[in-house]
Amino acid sequence: MVDFLDELEACVPALRRYARALTRNIDHADDLVQDCLVRAISRRGLFRPRGPLRPWLFAILTNLHRNDRRSARRQGAPLSLDAVPDPAVPAPQPGHMALAELARAIETLPLDQKEALLLVTLEGLAYAEAAAILDIPLGTLMSRLGRARAALRGLTGAPAEPHLRTVK
Amino acid sequence: MSMADRDTIMAYLDGELDAEARRVVEADKAAMAEIAALQRQADAIRALYDPAAAEPLPARLSPHRLALLHNRRHREGLLRAAMVVAVLGIGVAAGWLLRPVPAPASLYEHLIADAVSAHTIYTAENRHAVEVPGSEGEHLSAWLSSKLATALPMPDLSKEGFAFLGGRLLPAPALSGGRAAQLMYEDARGERLTLYLTPAAGVDGPEFELVRLGGDNALYWADARITCTIVGPQPAERLQALAGAIFPQLSPVPASAPAYREL
Repeated sequence: MVDFLDELEACVPALRRYARALTRNIDHADDLVQDCLVRAISRRGLFRPRGPLRPWLFAILTNLHRNDRRSARRQGAPLSLDAVPDPAVPAPQPGHMALAELARAIETLPLDQKEALLLVTLEGLAYAEAAAILDIPLGTLMSRLGRARAALRGLTGAPAEPHLRTVK
Repeated sequence: MSMADRDTIMAYLDGELDAEARRVVEADKAAMAEIAALQRQADAIRALYDPAAAEPLPARLSPHRLALLHNRRHREGLLRAAMVVAVLGIGVAAGWLLRPVPAPASLYEHLIADAVSAHTIYTAENRHAVEVPGSEGEHLSAWLSSKLATALPMPDLSKEGFAFLGGRLLPAPALSGGRAAQLMYEDARGERLTLYLTPAAGVDGPEFELVRLGGDNALYWADARITCTIVGPQPAERLQALAGAIFPQLSPVPASAPAYREL
């Protein structure tokens, strides 16, 4: 029990980071993390897979976030990207403008691409782990990842790579 | 021109390639330029959100605290459920204690009830009212005396207008391992009367009791050896008169004039 909670605690910083990147809102992100932890605690006996906790927690948080978005859409509360304060992004200082631009670009990605991108690049998960968390085949994961990266490069004004051969 | 496709470039970037595959990609200048660009992108994403992981944890995100809260809620849920059960239990127990019957029935009351039940069941039978017919009185007497382990003469009520139909052996659930004998009589109008006889050992109660149960009257009588419950639709006075004829025949020592207690 104590071991489980200690293990859980060790995962909280990564969960906060992932939630922050998904929502770009401190309070909403921490709400998600709290819900995720409560769910993990109450279900540990039932659903906890053997092996490391981290992928399981990411899967719970991903699903909670999806549910939140669905119910927010049902309640007709569209989030205006420009209106939402962006506390996760450092104050615009010289050299940080590119980061703010990147944050906005990530925000425009479809959710499934954003999830794939964040799990692999931000959280450093292996493809197999990320695919399992999102419950998709490996090929689908790589396809989403590739499209997300290409979209970001277009949106952040990075020079197009004419010699990048895309398959499919 | 890059020879590596998008998936290979990403796999290199994300550390999914083995050493040999990496060497192949590293020989591809265009692929390495692409990888460098994607690496910068990934670095920028991490620069953007890594600080969130370095912030001190707010108390509400402490798993230990959340587990305590969860357990407390869980316990409170169990406690509530237990209280519901307890309240229901108290209600049931109160209902039982406050039931109309003021005291648990004693053994002789069970005997009276069993006598009435047996009377109701078997007097309704025509062909199977008795197990052994009254014509085999001697055999019946010997058999039942042996089963009940006490002498049981078959009272003769012909003077009172009743013919002896016969008798049967019955269980007596009220007595531990008990047996009972039922004797049946019938008058000229077809009205039936039964005697329910048991050994008296272990039965304490009044010597006489007259009870009306349903459409029948039951007159209970006991001495040191046997109990006898007379059951029939006849009026109480008639049963008392019959008892005056029955008890002296059952008991070798004639009973003194009974003083009946009305319930």
